[in-house]
Amino acid sequence: MSKGKRDRTTQAREIVAKQQAAERRRKVTLWTSVGVVLVLFLAGLVGYTVMSRQDDGTLVTPAAAVDDGTAFAVGNGPVTVDVYEDFLCPACANFEKASGATLQEMATASKITLRIHPVAILDRFSNGTEYSTRSAGAAAAAAEEGKFLELHNVLYANQPAENSDGLSNDKIVELAKSVGLTSETFATAVNEGTYKAWATKATEKFSDRDFTGTPTIVVNGTQLTGPGDTVPTTELLTQTIEKAAG
Amino acid sequence: MERTWPWISTAARLGLAAVWLVAGGLKVGDLAASARAVHAYQLMPYDISKIVGAAQPFLEIALGLLLLAGLAVRLTAGISAVLLVIFIAGIVSAWARGLQIDCGCFSTGGELAAGSDPAYGVDILRDLGFLALAGILLWRPRSRLSVDSVLMGER
Repeated sequence: MSKGKRDRTTQAREIVAKQQAAERRRKVTLWTSVGVVLVLFLAGLVGYTVMSRQDDGTLVTPAAAVDDGTAFAVGNGPVTVDVYEDFLCPACANFEKASGATLQEMATASKITLRIHPVAILDRFSNGTEYSTRSAGAAAAAAEEGKFLELHNVLYANQPAENSDGLSNDKIVELAKSVGLTSETFATAVNEGTYKAWATKATEKFSDRDFTGTPTIVVNGTQLTGPGDTVPTTELLTQTIEKAAG
Repeated sequence: MERTWPWISTAARLGLAAVWLVAGGLKVGDLAASARAVHAYQLMPYDISKIVGAAQPFLEIALGLLLLAGLAVRLTAGISAVLLVIFIAGIVSAWARGLQIDCGCFSTGGELAAGSDPAYGVDILRDLGFLALAGILLWRPRSRLSVDSVLMGER
């Protein structure tokens, strides 16, 4: 065999080897890519399945709830004022401190229908005790005893800090007693979390109405915010209500 | 540089894997909150936000695991880059519309309390940093300690 021929054979072998290696890389790339796409698709599917199969417990809708079972009404004036609040939300406590009394007086005087919607969007800020959901559920239980506003006000007056454990069920029952809500049914509902599934459902409806934060204030169907997307002042609120009343 | 690139790519790969695992892990425990965080961007109807919010954490964790293993790195890096670009676009649009939200990047954010300022600029810069990691991997997907390198018969 001449030297030239041997070189050509070696070259040919090298080329074949290279081609085989390239073919192998192509195959590996193809199959790993298929695998990756499959894994990602499955991951998304798992998320969807987990979400749609989520069991929030038995839904007990409080009979006192109005507006598609999401709110508790005070007064029956011509102007409807909807307030969406989370019992753990500091901005809501500020709003209640500033405008709560005014709104409740207007409701009692039948100037407005005040509809308070408890929602639970801040469960992650109570060390896993889900204070937002528990307190909203407690408010529903209080409504069934005709003491919604009493409990609502005392819970805001005693609002726990974010990232604390929130108020314990016992503490909620104790505070309720201090405002004349002593019924055993209420205490049981709080301790057993009877209305927790309702609170989750009401929060869903809140999101479904395209509201994203608390407090959300709606006057006669139109969301009311102060300048720069802030919580409206009492002044702005009363002005808007008066204008709506005509 | 021929010897150092695989190690730089390894670092980028593990870094990006950590980003996805942490981002997904922080959201996966509360899918309803994740849906609300998506919905806070006000870009889609709530039913769609719900699906996106539920799928996203699992997708992020899966991407993180694939990058950690180093499987089809160029593809996973490409998908990471696409996701990051979408996230950045979302933040920019929220910023442009003057929404007051937490980006929800590493939390089930949602709307901010009145008075606290969103940190859109910081969020975008951080996401651009992650995008750079994905860019390195798109450009030089070969890395050490990866399933890819084993399958390709490299050492």
